[in-house]
Amino acid sequence: MSRPGEGLVAANGRQLRYAEMGQGPPLVHLQPGSPCLTPAHALLGQRFRVVVLETPDGAEAVATALTTLGIETFDLIGSAAAGEVALRLAAQSPGRVRALVLETPPASLGDEFEGMPWTSVVTPALVLIGTRDEVTTTHRALVARIPGCHLVVVYDAGPAIGADRPEAFAEVVADFLDRHEAFVISRAPTLIHP
Amino acid sequence: MKVSFFETVRYQPPRPLPSEWPVPSGAYDPEAGERAYRAMIKRLEYVEELGFDWISVSEHHYSPRILTPSPIVSAAFIAARLRRITIALLGPIVPHSNPVRVAEELAMLDTLAQGRLVVGLLRGTANEALTYDLNPQEARERTDEGMELILRAWTEPRPFGWQGRHFRYRTISIWPRPLQQPHPPTYALGTSRESCEFAARHRLGCGVSYGPFEVMARATRYYREQCARHGWEPTPEQIVYRANMVVADTDEDARARLGAQPTEAPFSMRAGVRDAISTLDARNIAGEARAAVVTGALPTTFVGSPDTVVEQVRRCREVVGAGVLDLSLHPPGSPDLDALMRALELFGTKVLPRIRDI
Repeated sequence: MSRPGEGLVAANGRQLRYAEMGQGPPLVHLQPGSPCLTPAHALLGQRFRVVVLETPDGAEAVATALTTLGIETFDLIGSAAAGEVALRLAAQSPGRVRALVLETPPASLGDEFEGMPWTSVVTPALVLIGTRDEVTTTHRALVARIPGCHLVVVYDAGPAIGADRPEAFAEVVADFLDRHEAFVISRAPTLIHP
Repeated sequence: MKVSFFETVRYQPPRPLPSEWPVPSGAYDPEAGERAYRAMIKRLEYVEELGFDWISVSEHHYSPRILTPSPIVSAAFIAARLRRITIALLGPIVPHSNPVRVAEELAMLDTLAQGRLVVGLLRGTANEALTYDLNPQEARERTDEGMELILRAWTEPRPFGWQGRHFRYRTISIWPRPLQQPHPPTYALGTSRESCEFAARHRLGCGVSYGPFEVMARATRYYREQCARHGWEPTPEQIVYRANMVVADTDEDARARLGAQPTEAPFSMRAGVRDAISTLDARNIAGEARAAVVTGALPTTFVGSPDTVVEQVRRCREVVGAGVLDLSLHPPGSPDLDALMRALELFGTKVLPRIRDI
């Protein structure tokens, strides 16, 4: 480990970089590029052990790396292009992935995406898109095809929702991971004075 | 040029009313209110007969000056009673509304009215922050977000949640959707930089009101620049100018009538409240600061004989670029119905047919 919270983990003949923070149930975040911790991770880290992992090409490598890290079951976020691996992992390892969040799903998961047994995704799934993202349309296909999949539109965010609106991102992600589909039931208090 | 009649409901108080806003609710006379709404429908039948394109209604609270706290209720009633004319709902005050409810009601209204609906979304005048306890400092942000949510609720085919700054919903999936697809012709109303930019970004129309042509032109010019930046060009019909007009047989008559109108706004807030709200409520015209609260009567930018007014409309078209005029032909709040009907007839017969081609 080069410094606390960062390291390398072996998986299928490769060394994958990862960064982590926080304590609690494991929350794995697959994102394109080098793993780095952001303000959104700091917020999620108050409740979860957040592990941001360099995304390899295949879901199997992620599964192996997480086993090496001692993580058996986990919640999973896949951002942008890494959403494809996240979705495959959720479909292949329903016993390990407790719930799946796709932030700005890539076009590769749209209607033409082949080889994915959509209906085999049995984990609770949430798709997030930002209102300033004028490109992404994949969310509709995903929500239509994954049973029970939820869609949340994050106002004033571009494709990097967690970077643009960290508090909003962390709140909806944590609430969904806590309560799964029951997260549609409001718990926001409106009582002004008892 | 298309022409819209701004309907404010003419409440004729049986007794003099207190002059401050909010006007005490106890001073309202239910019988007089019933007469006013009944007369409104008679008047609007005449407006339709004269050939106006739209009837517009707006949202104002706690006074008889414009007696439509729920413009959606008025619009639905008007749409049921009149057969041809388009109803322009300008607009619901977005920041103190539930945007999902607004989207649902407007979709329902568009369908009930068989597609005769035009929508303007806006922030509302400064005093309206006091109705429903809206924080004036949040009003702009809530307006932008609420408008975006309304547009999304109209167009998103899948159930969705909204993770906003000021609004949060986990489940939105409106029924019915608007009859006009993807949604009714919609305007972002206001001169502010934010409003113009929002309209340009979402390919909406822009609405300005009351100010002199040159001043309003600063906003419409900015709007058109922003539209160009987003790669499109608005049609003239996408620019609405709401204005006061005093038309009479002669220029002298018209000027005399204007001179006889009150110079103060009816039902003003107390000075202390007005001054306090002014420090919290920032307004601008295409980025240039303007006063948040208009203390005097709103300006009248069309004054004169039919010939004069036709020329002023021509100039308005050139300077402001407006393709729709939303007109008040007699000061809102004035109970003098005869004067209003005379102005309507004169405008409808001597001006309206001559400005069609402008």
